Parts: sequence; C-alpha cells; structure tokens
Amino acid sequence: MGIDFVVVTYCLYLTISIALTVWVARTLFRNGRVFLVDVFHGDESMADSVNHLLVVGFYLINLGYVTLALKMGYDVTSTRTSIEALSQKVGWVLLVLGGMHFFNLYVFSRIRRRSFLEIASPPVEPDACIATSR
Amino acid sequence: MLTVLYDGRCAVCRRARAWLESQPKFVPLEYVAAGSQEARRRFPGLDHDNTLVDLTVVGPGGEVYHGAKAWIMCLWALRKYRGTALRLATPELMPTAKRVIAWVSRNRFRIGQAEAWKTL
Repeated sequence: MGIDFVVVTYCLYLTISIALTVWVARTLFRNGRVFLVDVFHGDESMADSVNHLLVVGFYLINLGYVTLALKMGYDVTSTRTSIEALSQKVGWVLLVLGGMHFFNLYVFSRIRRRSFLEIASPPVEPDACIATSR
Repeated sequence: MLTVLYDGRCAVCRRARAWLESQPKFVPLEYVAAGSQEARRRFPGLDHDNTLVDLTVVGPGGEVYHGAKAWIMCLWALRKYRGTALRLATPELMPTAKRVIAWVSRNRFRIGQAEAWKTL
C-alpha cells in the first residue's frame, strides 16, 4: 500500500492553516496593543484585556473555519492533485484570514474614533461670554 | 449642560427642538423659548432681540453661540452627530454652513408654512 494522499493532504492543510492563523493572530496581538493603549488613554490593563479578547475571538473564528473546511469531497490520488487541493484550501483560509484581519482593523478604528469623539472639545469659539443666573 | 434658546413661534424651530430631544447625547440640552420671561431672567446679559433672529446656545460658563455656531454646538452635544459637528466647523465647511443656516433662519417662517409642517 502506497502513501494515503488524502491523509497527507489533510495533515499539510492543517499544519499550514494553523501556522498561518497563529502568525496573523500574533501580528494582530503585538501591533493591536499599541493601538488600544492609545484608545484607552494609556490604561494598559484595559488595553491588554480587550486585546486578549479580540485575539481569542480571532482564533475561534479562524480555527472554526479551518476545521469545517477540512473535508475535500473528492479523491486525491497523486502529488499533483494533492498540491492543487492544498492550494485551493489554503487559498480560502488566506482569504478568510485577510477578511477577518481587516474586520479587526475596522473594529479598532471604530473604537478609536469613538474614544476620540467622547473627549473632543467644542469645535467653535463662543461669540460672547455673559453672566448667567439660575 | 447647554441651553438652547429657540424661536417657539416657528414650526421649523419647534420641529428642530423635537428632533434634538429625541437624539442620544454626550452633553444634556435644555430648551428655553427665546425672548421668554425665563430666558430674560436667566440670561440678563444677553441681547434677547437677537435670540429671536438666530438660534442661540448658552454654555455652562455663559459662553454664547449664535446661528451656525449654535447649530454646530447642538450637533456636538449629540452622540451620533459629533463627528459631523467637527467636520462642519473646519475652515473648509464653516462658510457654507454659515450661509445655509443664515438662509434657513431668514426663510424659516416661509418654510414653516409648507404643508408638511402644518401638523406639528
């Protein structure tokens, strides 16, 4: 009995996809932190907490997708078909990772914008100043 | 807290007040009819005839904003429109905002006569 191409393809697919997910998540974790510290006005423990929660969500969604997309539904009988199947699978994983990554950036920029607006001072100078009485 | 002095005689202004009331806020707004007894009592130093010409907003420290500036301050107080207020206050958009607000202010009674406002 020769090598089982399907099992080899599955193993390679899982290895590559998980490695890619870990790489993107770590990038997000490292660079997102600086950003969140700024958003939370220097509150590092808050930034770390939100950062951690975001990365956990990122892992869950990506690994969930990788797991669900494992099954090929057709037979792989040669190195050539194995590579083709692998490229298609990994391509989809990359697209999902890219989509999730941009979604995360969008979430970051939303949080940042909101925190910026909350502390924004009046944009116009008053025309005059008067005494008030209640 | 910002005090909004609006012209209670005009439908457009009453409608604008109702809209402001319905919006979620960063800064609470209170509404006082321009030229009213209460307005005169609370802001004795204000030119009350002028408050019937243009929308006026008074800040917590007695800062007075007229016309387009008053509108921008109202938007600035609202959660959903603070970004818009900051954009309108830029040197690029402020002149247009002033022109539009001045036109609406001049024509508010005529605009208020349109059918759509009658029910308010």
